[in-house]
Amino acid sequence: MGIILERLPGITGRMPGGDLILTTADTVIDWGRKSSMWPMTFGLACCAIEMMGSYAARFDFDRMGVIPRASPRQADVIIIAGTVVKKMAPAIEKIYHQMPEPRFVISMGSCANCGGPYYDSYSVVKGVDKIIPVDVYIAGCPPRPEALMYAVVKLQEKIMKLGLGKDGYGGYTPQQAKGSRQLGEESRIENRESR
Amino acid sequence: MTPDELFESLKAQFAGLEKAAAPVKGYLTLKATKQELLPLVTHLKAAGFDYLEIVTATDWKGPVDPRGYIVDPNPNHFLPEGATPQAAPGAPTPGVAYRDAIELVYLLGDLGARKMKLFIKLDVPRDQASAPSLVPLFKAADWQEREVFDLLGVTFEGHPNLKKILTPDFLTGHPLRKDYVHVPDAYD
Repeated sequence: MGIILERLPGITGRMPGGDLILTTADTVIDWGRKSSMWPMTFGLACCAIEMMGSYAARFDFDRMGVIPRASPRQADVIIIAGTVVKKMAPAIEKIYHQMPEPRFVISMGSCANCGGPYYDSYSVVKGVDKIIPVDVYIAGCPPRPEALMYAVVKLQEKIMKLGLGKDGYGGYTPQQAKGSRQLGEESRIENRESR
Repeated sequence: MTPDELFESLKAQFAGLEKAAAPVKGYLTLKATKQELLPLVTHLKAAGFDYLEIVTATDWKGPVDPRGYIVDPNPNHFLPEGATPQAAPGAPTPGVAYRDAIELVYLLGDLGARKMKLFIKLDVPRDQASAPSLVPLFKAADWQEREVFDLLGVTFEGHPNLKKILTPDFLTGHPLRKDYVHVPDAYD
């Protein structure tokens, strides 16, 4: 599938009416990506309880196509739910890099957004976007399950705008192109050696 | 057997035993010294207190002004209507608060016949803080003493594996000490 997507713009660029095909393909592929977003659940602290609540029967997440996957290799999106401590930070980086692209990050709750109520602590990373690029932030302590669902809806809207891009690999968001706050240049998608 | 009866029977065995100056509310609180901690706990374990629930510690150094915080002793900032203004807290309780020591706290429980719990408090000096380890008696003390070592710097003599358990490897120092200065690291 990845090879088809990579070569598709090159092929359709040479065909007459190729742009129309590409636009339709964009829509179909984006629709496919957004309708079956499988998160790698990364429940660290209290936000994990609200995340569990939104997976459970009352605020069913499965009706949006969201099925939790335990392994990063099988996940599209990672929901960082909870406080990120410095001891956990290398593990988060590792897991993020183990996710196949296109991948997205939802930062859930104040602790993952900016350090939260533990901002002054000696052991808390002040926001997970210091380590990995984040696509959607959810405010709250903890955010309600409806807020998490709204974040997924927003991420779906973001995915619908992605398309295939000029090289057939538009599967990364502008945030991923920019890289994370802390790592800057090396974490930009163009500057990494492997794709 | 009431806590006081237990205290009297313990005093018969250990001559200098006394109750702690600031007892934990509702529990018998003994004050121990470093030399008599192990004999006391051994005796208590043989007497039925075989559940070591808590091994923890507090750093009583003060008053300290944590960096970045404004310490305002005025308690009348957010006064509800109709409430009487309170006087600012005066001098701290002598002998209890703001002393230059680390206080180790042990909670022993008797889940058998007596169904009772008692606290043991032990003061150690802040530099070269060390105490005998309870690991030969209670396996539960293993990780709890490692945590006290990691966060407050109290070494436990006789502990089989005294190393960091909670803080990341690059963190030096003991964070819960009142004079801990945070060295900014890669994630700050």
